[in-house]
Amino acid sequence: MQKRNTYTQIEDFLSDDSFRSWILSKIDNDGWEEWTLESLQRAKLVEDARLLLLAMKLPENEFSASDIHKALQNTWAKIREKENQKTVQIFKINVFRKYFLSGIAATLFICMASAWLYTTYFRSGNSVVTYNELINDDNEGLVEQTNNSDKPQIITLSDGSSVLLQPNSKLSYPKIFDGNERKVYLSGEAFFEISKNPKKPFFVFANEIVTKVVGTSFRVKAYSDKPDVEVLVRTGKVKVRSNNLAAKSDNKEIVLLPNQALRFQRSEMKFNKITDITQDISLSKSIGSIEQLSFEFTDIPVSQIFETIEQAYLIDIDFPKDKLKDCHLTTSLSDQPLTEKLKIICKSIGNNTSFEMNGNQITIISEGCN
Amino acid sequence: MKTATATINLFDDNTLWNNLKDGDEKSFSMLFERYYADLVRYGNSLSLFEEKVQDCIQDVFTDLWVYRNSLQESVVVKAYLLASVRKRIARLHERDHIFRKTTTTDSIAFLLEFSVQHELVDDDYATKEKVNHLNKLLNDLPARQKEALYLRYHQGLTVEQIAEMLDVNYQSASNLLHRGLLSLRKEWKGSFPIILLLSSGSF
Repeated sequence: MQKRNTYTQIEDFLSDDSFRSWILSKIDNDGWEEWTLESLQRAKLVEDARLLLLAMKLPENEFSASDIHKALQNTWAKIREKENQKTVQIFKINVFRKYFLSGIAATLFICMASAWLYTTYFRSGNSVVTYNELINDDNEGLVEQTNNSDKPQIITLSDGSSVLLQPNSKLSYPKIFDGNERKVYLSGEAFFEISKNPKKPFFVFANEIVTKVVGTSFRVKAYSDKPDVEVLVRTGKVKVRSNNLAAKSDNKEIVLLPNQALRFQRSEMKFNKITDITQDISLSKSIGSIEQLSFEFTDIPVSQIFETIEQAYLIDIDFPKDKLKDCHLTTSLSDQPLTEKLKIICKSIGNNTSFEMNGNQITIISEGCN
Repeated sequence: MKTATATINLFDDNTLWNNLKDGDEKSFSMLFERYYADLVRYGNSLSLFEEKVQDCIQDVFTDLWVYRNSLQESVVVKAYLLASVRKRIARLHERDHIFRKTTTTDSIAFLLEFSVQHELVDDDYATKEKVNHLNKLLNDLPARQKEALYLRYHQGLTVEQIAEMLDVNYQSASNLLHRGLLSLRKEWKGSFPIILLLSSGSF
């Protein structure tokens, strides 16, 4: 401990283990206390070093012996697991080496054989994917709704998204979306308004294409007997790619922004992006009423807002006309599914206003607005 | 006398380390018990997720055992462990960054505040004030300077070890320490000796 007699700087003390344990743990094995008192200058230095150390503590986390023991047990468990993995891996590598050459030959053979099979049997014609194939591929308790009437039908999904299903179309969807994705299957035409949930992307499988969205509104037209599949975006952003089931097509994603559309030629497996829908006669002609209506309301009577919604979704809204007679709202509902729109309106009216939904019939319960 | 030295040697870090390399489970457990709490404390200063920190540290020890045959012979055990923990937490942050785009790509920051020891009972009011003031100054330092100071004076690592840990060269590490103390010196009025001594200090 003679080294300390040569200490001239705070740093010298701070780096001394024994000094630190004296200050921080009060273990004075080397007689620091006495040594310090030997000279006044030394005492000053020691005091400053002490203050600095005391100011530099980290908050204690008191671990009991049993906590540490538990952590140790846990670590041993991890070790056993990892060691097992290692042996399995070594085993695998050995097996791999043993059969490596014959493996290569077999793989090559399989590759060539399947390439030949693929080109001869599948490439021609079988690339058209139909609704039924898609459904069969994923039939974990799907609900199917078919619109055989001559008017569009509104479907509200478990996540609050709304789908306006056109006549002669059908949609399959799970009763409740679980897992990390929301998947629905369409045959025919529908207008989608998806409730926002970045954690659960929404996929529409329609013939050979898959449309992926997070929250937005768009229309998909995919009749199994028509040569084209169309996607038209109204708000937000969607991504379209071809379905993996459809053979031979580049897996490129096409991004569509509002008022952009995409036409997929099924026979040629080709995407055509249409950036200006007004230029495309067949598209601009086929725009449904919901896509033409504006949901931007500025100081508009509630009754008129309900009327717009009735028109858009072809539903019937029953509301207390007298009580809501003088209510005006300013709101933007463009990017919202039907239930969201109704929720926002009810909330804006206030006074415990609520709505009930029963198929195509909506009832507003209200005591008037604030 | 002979037995006494033998027991001391047995508990020495490097002896435990070498026994561990030879597959001695007891030495492994002893090192674990010796450093676990301290490593958790350090890890918590780098990450806000206490659960994950403990996970990281247990993984460090897991690898220590599983790959014990390829461990180097002469290492400063404490520095090795601190550096491994830091690396692992940094990797965790990177991964989180890729997936969640939350943290910055820049390496991890030393988050914890230094705290004042509560047991300053036998000290007079002026001393306590001084410590509190110093503590505030220390906490206002940039995270990397703070971490360097902590590693140097709290964990007792050498400047070389700190440089390696923070992935900088020797000069930068010593600059971190120097600048840290320099700004303390500038700010810490009212205590003359430390000013004098630090100004003559070479780091």
